[in-house]
Amino acid sequence: MTTSNELRIGVYVCSCGSNIGGVIDPGEVAEFSRTLPGVVLARENLYLCGDPGQNAIAQDIREHGLNRVVIAACSVRMHEPTFRACVAEAGLNPFLMEMTNIREQDTWVHSHEPDAALHKAKELVSAAVAKVTYVEPLQPITVPVTKAAMVIGGGVAGISAALDLADMGIHTYLVEKEQSIGGTMAQLNKTFPTMDCSI
Amino acid sequence: MVDAARHPKVEILAYSEVLRVDGYIGNFRVEVMQKPRYVIAENCTGDGECADACPIEVPNEFEMGLAPRKAIDVPHGQAVPLIYAIDMDHCIECYQCVTACGHRDAIDFTQEPELLELEVGSIIVATGFDSFDPTVIPEYGYGPYPNVITAMELERLDNSAGPTIGRLIRPSDGREPKSMAIVQCVGSRDQRFNEYCSGFCCMYAIKNAILLKQMIPDMEITIFYMDIRTPSKGYEEFYNRAREMGIRFIHGRPSQITEDPVTRNLFVEAEDQELGEVLEFEVEMVALSTAAIPRADTEQVASSLTLSRSPSGFFMEYHPKLRPVDSPTDGVFLAGAAQGPKDIPASVAQGSAAAARAARVLSSDTWEIEPIIAKVDEAVCVSAQGTRCGLCVGACPYGAISCVTGEAAQITSAKCHGCGGCVAECPHSAITQDHFTDAQVVAQLSELLRDKPEEKVLAFMCHWCSYGGADMAGTSHFEYPAVSRGIRVMCSARMDSDFVLEAYRRGAGMVLVSGCHPQDCHYITGQQIAAKRFERLHRQLERLGISPERFRVEWISAAEGEKYARVITEMNETLDSIPREQILAENREARATIERRLQRWKNSPQMIELMADLEPETSAEQEVPAS
Repeated sequence: MTTSNELRIGVYVCSCGSNIGGVIDPGEVAEFSRTLPGVVLARENLYLCGDPGQNAIAQDIREHGLNRVVIAACSVRMHEPTFRACVAEAGLNPFLMEMTNIREQDTWVHSHEPDAALHKAKELVSAAVAKVTYVEPLQPITVPVTKAAMVIGGGVAGISAALDLADMGIHTYLVEKEQSIGGTMAQLNKTFPTMDCSI
Repeated sequence: MVDAARHPKVEILAYSEVLRVDGYIGNFRVEVMQKPRYVIAENCTGDGECADACPIEVPNEFEMGLAPRKAIDVPHGQAVPLIYAIDMDHCIECYQCVTACGHRDAIDFTQEPELLELEVGSIIVATGFDSFDPTVIPEYGYGPYPNVITAMELERLDNSAGPTIGRLIRPSDGREPKSMAIVQCVGSRDQRFNEYCSGFCCMYAIKNAILLKQMIPDMEITIFYMDIRTPSKGYEEFYNRAREMGIRFIHGRPSQITEDPVTRNLFVEAEDQELGEVLEFEVEMVALSTAAIPRADTEQVASSLTLSRSPSGFFMEYHPKLRPVDSPTDGVFLAGAAQGPKDIPASVAQGSAAAARAARVLSSDTWEIEPIIAKVDEAVCVSAQGTRCGLCVGACPYGAISCVTGEAAQITSAKCHGCGGCVAECPHSAITQDHFTDAQVVAQLSELLRDKPEEKVLAFMCHWCSYGGADMAGTSHFEYPAVSRGIRVMCSARMDSDFVLEAYRRGAGMVLVSGCHPQDCHYITGQQIAAKRFERLHRQLERLGISPERFRVEWISAAEGEKYARVITEMNETLDSIPREQILAENREARATIERRLQRWKNSPQMIELMADLEPETSAEQEVPAS
């Protein structure tokens, strides 16, 4: 994708409906982002995780030759896989995308201080832009897979897991420390709510 | 059980224990020890003539000690596999079993433990639970009063395959009781023992009550409960059925159980919270619904598989909602009550879920690992230059690093989980973590502290816990002052002391280092490495003249949103209580010493660029630039 070392950063500021947009003006954050070094475009969007938002990012990567992307939206724990997949689809290495959290860690906790929340959002975007300046494309590490499984514990959960794996054709070791399998379940009388036998 | 034994793809290794697990997703090597049965499995027909001949009787653990077993036996008649074993702790070596076995020739006193080395691509941990020992609640009299039994003992006594062939009797006199009290939440929902709800006890108590009522229709059964919890499908209906059958439910936790020494009847004292009255019931028998607790060997299993534990002690899942059967170790999954108390339907479902998650790995020929791993710069590593070092080896929770003096440290990529502990521990900047490099962290730090740094709380957060805690504060809308600025790394182990020093050099008012609680750490011992490091840093900051209250270390779980909000609020209050001039003066005075220490960072073009304001010949007199 990258033809030169020149940074071409795209910043996307999500409104997340009113979750972010109800406290701060994402447009103002986008406008501020345009002043940051390396940023070639910045946009706001109502829902970046939705199809129109994802398409806009992918289209910009292709049309504007973006080589870094900053997403100011929700938590990485929520949508990092979504945005990584989005940029990868447009040909950008997923590790060249960085998210910054202006929802859980900003507008949702500073709704009574909108000015301070806006200031914080701008600084968080600055930091993310600074980070992507230094990120490198990374390739996943590929390892071989041994086609066998081990289930430790031969109670009802372990037996259930072992049988399902075995039915999928996977050789499964079922390790049980007692003399016989069955675990606690084997000790029980009839079981609720159907009152059938446990063994 | 039989299905598992008959399945050609299931290899049951009973009477076996996992000793050691090495490797990583797709490529685990497991050492399993098969304990000697002193019976040759292939020759044993399971007829039990050996047990008939054996003269030794000991309490049968499967029957909760309510029946005897022989020194050569199987736990129960339907055991899978049906192979006898000799209990050498009790065997007197009279060899009568050998005679009884005869031509089958299955007894072999020379058997030794057998070690197996197995290779698997993924592992499911389904080690179950233990039952709470009610003897630690003396006011309930379990032990001294023979007619106070546990729920599991009741299971065996009303079980047609049990020692009394399904006839309930009182242990004191062998009579059938006409009244019984069942006490709920014994050892659970009790601040003294376990805070959590054991989940399935309400249902098994109701089940046993219904079974008993069906067996002995004129029996009076009273269940003492705190809350009846019947949240799954068909459970509330089951509870209603019990009420319709005349089983009495009293809302109150018994405070005491006493015994009539003559009749051996029991007096259960409890406050009926509905009536607000203290009641005393005389019953012939009491069953205690004991809590499910983590297996005694949970810690050992956790350390061999690098799993972490929830505050309750059960194995911790990767994410409570989104990845409930994944463990923090890639390729290792959790099923059943080992992850938390669970009933049979939930255990079966989780077993299937874990199988599907494991199959996701096993169905492909290769697996991709996130490349946020650590790398050694061989030209910088002092070990390569002949210096004895190896600090990185000690910082690695996974044994992924080896270091031989004379050679650069080596990191096995596939074993590296990307905590970054070695990166922060290396005093020579010889190790880098991809995607969390020094430059990437310092770049963020400098932006976050560009404007009025003395008014800010800079918060380092670990990905798994404290960042999750900050997210939880958000989803819960726990407001806190907008003075905090966060930097996320994977583990608190990655948080270099020098990041904190750099924050003060750039004028920060307050610095927070936050990570997982020790038992929650997703990198086994990463948090411990960080905890030690920041204890040292506390002392160093004191020498630098930074007020100790300006640096805080907090362990905040992903569930502790309230705590995250509180910590930031408190830190802001502390910040407000310190005169600004003092903060500026402290930072100014510490600057020269910090700058000398940070010279080590000027070893890459990126860091030279970021640390451009740091001159080698910096003197203590240098002015702090206006922020």
